[in-house]
Amino acid sequence: MNTTQKKNPRDYAMFDADISGAVLNLKLLRRLLKWLVPYKASLALSTVLVLIASTLQVMLPIIISLVAIDHIIRGESSSDSPDFGLIDFNSNIADTLGIPELVAACLLYGAIQLAWAFCGHAHRMTLIGPVINGLRDLRLDLFRHLETRPSSFYDRVAVGRIMTRVTNDVEALYELLRGLGTLVGEFVPFFVALAVMLAIDVQLTLALLLALPILAMVTYLFRRKTRFLFRQTRQTLSNLNQSLQENLAGLQVVQLSDRQQHNLDRYTQINEKNRLFEHRLARVETLYGAFNESLAQIAIGLILYYGASQLMNITMTVGEVVLFTQFVTMLFHPIVVLGEQTNILFRAMASGERIFQALDWDEIIHEPSQPVALPSRLRGEVEFRNVSFAYDATMPVLDDVSFTIAPGEKLAIVGPTGSGKSTLIRLLGRFYDFDDEQIFLDGLDLNRIHSADLRRRVGVVLQDFHIFSGSIYDNIALGNPKVTLERAIEAATIVNAHDFISQLPEGYHTPLTERGQNLSQGQRQLLAFARVLAADPEILVLDEATANIDTETELLIQEAVERLTKGRTSIIIAHRLQTIQEADRVLVLEQGRVAEIGSHEELLAANGLYATLHSLQFQSDADSLPETSSAS
Amino acid sequence: MKPTTDEPTLPPTALLASLWQLRRFIGPHRRGLYIGITAFGIARIFEAMVPVLTAVSINRMVDGDFDVTYPVLGIIGAVLIRYCVVSFARFSVRRVALKVSYDLRQAFFNKLQQQGSEFFSQFSIGDMMTRAVADISLIQRLISMGTILLIIMVYATVVGFGFMLYYSPWLTLLLLPPMPLVFFYAQYSAKAMGEASAQVQDRLSDLGTHTQENLSGIRTIQAMVQEENEIARFASTNQAYADVFYEQGRINSAMSSWMPSLAAICSLTILGYGGSQVLDGTLAVGDFVAFFMFVNMVVQPFRVAGFIVNLFQRAGVASRRLFEVFDRPAEITDEPGDEAPVELAGSIDIRELSYRYPGATTKAIDNLSLGVAPGETIAIMGRVGSGKTTLLKQMVRLIDPPKNSVFIDGHPVADYPLTQLRTQVALVPQDPFLFAEPLKSNITYDDPARSLEKIWEAATSADLKDTISDFPDQLDTLIGERGVTLSGGQKQRATLARGLIRHAPILILDDCFSAVDTETEEHILGELKRLRQQQTTVLVSHRVSTARHADRIYVMDAGRIIESGRHEDLLANQGYYAELERVQREGGEEDDLERLRVNS
Repeated sequence: MNTTQKKNPRDYAMFDADISGAVLNLKLLRRLLKWLVPYKASLALSTVLVLIASTLQVMLPIIISLVAIDHIIRGESSSDSPDFGLIDFNSNIADTLGIPELVAACLLYGAIQLAWAFCGHAHRMTLIGPVINGLRDLRLDLFRHLETRPSSFYDRVAVGRIMTRVTNDVEALYELLRGLGTLVGEFVPFFVALAVMLAIDVQLTLALLLALPILAMVTYLFRRKTRFLFRQTRQTLSNLNQSLQENLAGLQVVQLSDRQQHNLDRYTQINEKNRLFEHRLARVETLYGAFNESLAQIAIGLILYYGASQLMNITMTVGEVVLFTQFVTMLFHPIVVLGEQTNILFRAMASGERIFQALDWDEIIHEPSQPVALPSRLRGEVEFRNVSFAYDATMPVLDDVSFTIAPGEKLAIVGPTGSGKSTLIRLLGRFYDFDDEQIFLDGLDLNRIHSADLRRRVGVVLQDFHIFSGSIYDNIALGNPKVTLERAIEAATIVNAHDFISQLPEGYHTPLTERGQNLSQGQRQLLAFARVLAADPEILVLDEATANIDTETELLIQEAVERLTKGRTSIIIAHRLQTIQEADRVLVLEQGRVAEIGSHEELLAANGLYATLHSLQFQSDADSLPETSSAS
Repeated sequence: MKPTTDEPTLPPTALLASLWQLRRFIGPHRRGLYIGITAFGIARIFEAMVPVLTAVSINRMVDGDFDVTYPVLGIIGAVLIRYCVVSFARFSVRRVALKVSYDLRQAFFNKLQQQGSEFFSQFSIGDMMTRAVADISLIQRLISMGTILLIIMVYATVVGFGFMLYYSPWLTLLLLPPMPLVFFYAQYSAKAMGEASAQVQDRLSDLGTHTQENLSGIRTIQAMVQEENEIARFASTNQAYADVFYEQGRINSAMSSWMPSLAAICSLTILGYGGSQVLDGTLAVGDFVAFFMFVNMVVQPFRVAGFIVNLFQRAGVASRRLFEVFDRPAEITDEPGDEAPVELAGSIDIRELSYRYPGATTKAIDNLSLGVAPGETIAIMGRVGSGKTTLLKQMVRLIDPPKNSVFIDGHPVADYPLTQLRTQVALVPQDPFLFAEPLKSNITYDDPARSLEKIWEAATSADLKDTISDFPDQLDTLIGERGVTLSGGQKQRATLARGLIRHAPILILDDCFSAVDTETEEHILGELKRLRQQQTTVLVSHRVSTARHADRIYVMDAGRIIESGRHEDLLANQGYYAELERVQREGGEEDDLERLRVNS
C-alpha cells in the first residue's frame, strides 16, 4: 500500500509562481463582486448620488455661460439651450425675492456648489463603506481558509508568500476598487456634459470627441513606455541598495581584502545604469506631462474658431461657446485618469488571481464521514501497525514501522536527523493523511476520529512553542472554560512554572507578546508544559528542546517532564541522556525503520546503533554534537 | 512612506543652513537649474496667452466681428511653443536632480567604505541604508518636484495676478481674501491626511505582523485546536484596520468636496462683481471669461504651497542626516612613511600597547607586549572579551593602534601603505561573512583574477573540496538567500580558504574553527603547517587541541597576557590553560566550562 497514490500530486511551485495578470479578467471581477453583495443597498444609493452630483457639477459652468452671459448680460438665450431650466428658475428667484438676476445667479451658484459638495461626499462614503467592509470580509475568509490548511501545505509553501496574500494582495484589491470608484466619479460627469454639448452643437461635439482617441493613444503609449522604465529604475535602485547593504555588512572583509576601489567601480556601474533609466524616464514623463493640457488648450482655440462661424449664422450663442471651452477639461480628464488607473487595475488583477488561487486551494486533512465519538477517558494505548508513510512519492520517510505503547508507558525516541522521529509524532496528531488501519488509539483506527477531537486527547509540546498573545493565564487555558485560574495555577505549580510566574509584575495576568520576548527559553518551555498539563490529555507527545538552557532551569524542566509523564502515555523525542534513562523503553529509528527497541540498559548491552549514538551524543566534545543541534 | 508628522521639523535658519550644504552637490549642475528657471518664465508668459487671446476672440464676437483666425492661430502657436519650452524646462531640472542624487550616492558609498568599527558602533547599517535610500530620494524629490513647483508657483502668481490687475484691479483685489483660506485648508487637510495615513500604515503593519506570527505558529495552533480563537482574534485586527481605513477615506473624500468649494468662492466673486462690471460696461465679456481662466492659474499654487513647504522641510532633515556622514573624517588614514619594506619578512612586535574604545571605561588592551619572529606560529587564548580580537584588528589597522606600539618588520603599522599592509597581513575575521556571489568569487575575493586551480587549491586546504563537489554548480554555486545557504562550519572554512589563498607573509586567524568539528580542524591545521612553514601565523582559539601545536601560546585576560609559553610549559604552570586542558580532555560538559569561566 502506498500512501501517496491517493493524493493528487500538487504543484506547490504554482503557489509561488509569479502570476502576471495582464488581462482584464471579468470572471475575477464578478467573483469579487460577491463580497460586495451584502452591501448592495449602500451601493445603489451611491449610484443615485453620483448621478445627482454629476448633474450638479455640470450645472456650475452652465450658470456662468448660459445664465449669466447669455441671459443676464446679453439677453439672447436661445429657447432650446439645455440649461436644465436654470434660466427660468433664476428669473423666478429674482422675481420672488425682488433682487437683481445677477444676485440670484450668485445665490444659485453657491447653493449648487454646496449641494455638489455634499452629494459628492455622500456618494464617495456610500461607495467606500461597502468596499472596505467587503474586502474586510474577504480578508477574513482568506485567513480562515489558510488557518485550516494542513501541515503538508505549510511544509511546502513559504510563510512569507502566504502572508503577502493576506496583506499586499488584498491591499491591491482596495486599490482596484478605489480606482474603479474614481473612474465612476470621472466618467459620469463626462457623459452628462456630453449630453449637454450634443444638445447645443452635434458637429462641434463630435469634432472634439475625435481628440479622445489621440489622447487615449498617447496616454496608452506613455503608460506602456513608463511601465517598462519604472520597472527598470526600481530594479536598478534595488540592486544599488543591495550592493550598498552587502558592502556595509561585509565592510571588514572588503577592507581586509583591499577591495574598496573595485567595489566602488561595481557600484558606479549600477548607479550609472540607474541614472540612465531615470534619465529616459524623465524624458518620457516630461514630454507627456504637458501634453494633455496643451491638447485641451488647442481644443479651446478650435472651439473659438468654430464658434465664431456658428455665431455669425446665429446657430450658437456666446455663452454656448464659453460653455464648450469650460467643458473641455471635463471631457479630457477621464481619459487621463483611465491611463493612470490601468496599471493599478492590471496589477490588482494579478493580486486577485493570487487570492482566489489561495481560496481555491482545497488541500485538507480528510476527516471521517462518520467520526467515532471518543469516550470521556481513554486508556491511552497507542499502536503503530506496519506504518509506511511518505511526504512525496520519491522519498519514503517511515517504512513498515510497528510498535505498541502500553497505557501509561513512557517511550523515548532517538535516531539521527531525518530518521523519521518528527514524522512519527506528526502522524499521531493526524497532521497528515495516511492510510487506514495503520495507527490505533485504544484499538480504534485513528482515521475514524475527527482530527480536532483527537488533538484534544493528544497533547503535543513542540520545540518551537508558539506563545499566543494574551496573558499567562490565557496561554495556559487557551480558551478552555474548564481551565479555571485555580486549575492553571495548580498545573503551573506541578511543572515548576509557578515560581517565575508569580515573580512577574502582574502574575498570571501578565500580558505576553506573541514571540514571548519577556520570557526566557526555559520559562517558555515550562509554560508550554503547564498548558498541556492543564488540558490533561491522555497521550503526551513531547519534542524535547535542544536549545541551551541554564543548568538551574534545566533541572526544573527535567523534574517537570517527570511529573508530566507520570502515569500518562508519553512519547518523547529525546535529546538528553537523563530523559532517555528515565523512559520505560527506547525506540531507535534509522532511515524510517525501527532499528532497535528496548530499555536503555538492554540496548546498551546489545551494542548496536543505540550504543553508538549514545557514545557520540553524550560523550564527545560538547562543541561538536553532530546530530541534535540541527534537528528539524 | 513614513508619515511626515513623526519627523523633526527644523527651524527656518537651521533648515536653510542644512539645505545650503547641498550647494557642494548642486553647484556643478547649477546651469541646468538656471536654464530651467528661465525657461519656466518664458513658458508661463506663453501660457497666459491662452486666456488673453480667448478674451480677444470673445470680445470680437461680442462686437460682431466673427473673424477670429489670428487670435486662434495665436493660441495654437502659443500652446505649441509653451509645450516645447515647458517640457524642456522640466527636463532640465529633473536632470539636475538625477545628477545630484547620482553624485550623492557615489559620495555616500565612498565615504562609508572609509569608515571603521568606531563609526559603525555609532551608526547601524540599517540607519545607513535608510539614509542612502530615503534621504537621497528626498533630496531628489526636492529638486525634481520641489523646485519645479516653487518656480511654477512664483511665476503663476506673478503672471496671473499681473494680467488680472491689468483687466480689472478692483476685481483682482477682491479675489485675494479667499487665497489664505485655500492655503490654510490645504495645510490642515495635509496634516489630517498625514495622520490618517500614518494610522493606516500602523494598522496595516499590525495586520502583517499578526498574520506572520500566526502562520509561523500554525502547527501549535492546529495541535491545540486553537483555529477558531485565532480567527476571532484576527477578525478584530482586521476590523481595526478597516476602521482607520474608512476614516482615511472620509478625510480624503471631505477634502475632495471642500477644496473645490473654497476655490469656488473666487468664481462666485467673479460672477457677482465681474458680472456687474460687465453690466456697467466697465469690463468686456471676453475679459470676464478670461478671469475664470486666470483664477485657476492662481489658486493652484495655494493648494500645493503646503506640500512644497513639506518637501523642503523633509529634504532639510534628510540633508542634515546625509552630511552627518559626509562630514565625518575617514577613520583610518593612509599616510605611509617611505622607509617601510615592500616585502614583509613577517615579524610582529607589540610594545606596551594600551587601547581603550571611545567611550569605554576600562582598557581593552592594557600595556601588552609580545613578539613574533618570522615563520613562527603562535596561539592566543582567553575568555570572550579578553581583548584578543581587538589586538588582532590593530595589527591590520582595522583599529588604529597608538603611535609606535604595533610594529611589523620593525616599522610601525601606520608607516605601511594601507593596501600593502592588508595585502601582506591577511586577517580572517571571527564572523564568517560571505557575499551573495558565487563561491569562487568569495574565496578569491581580494583578487578576482586568480586561476581556478589556485581556488581549488585553497579550498582543498580548507577542507572544502568535498562540500564544493556536492554542489550542483561547484565553484560557481551562488551563496546566500538566492543560492545555497552554507552551514556555520562551511562558512568558516570558506572564509579560511579566502585567507589561505593569499599566501600572505603573516596570516591571522581569529577563532576560525569554532563551528568546525575537531577532526576536520586537525586536518586543516596539518595543511597550515605544511603550507606555511616559512611564514608567520597567529591563531586565536578556544580549543587546547588547536593551540597546542603552536610555537608559543599566549593566554589573555582583561587586555593583558597572563600566561605564555609552549604547551608543556603552560601545563606545568597549573594556571588557566592547564585547567582548560583538563576540562576539555575529560570531554567535559558545557557546565564545567561555564564554572571555569565564573571562577577564574
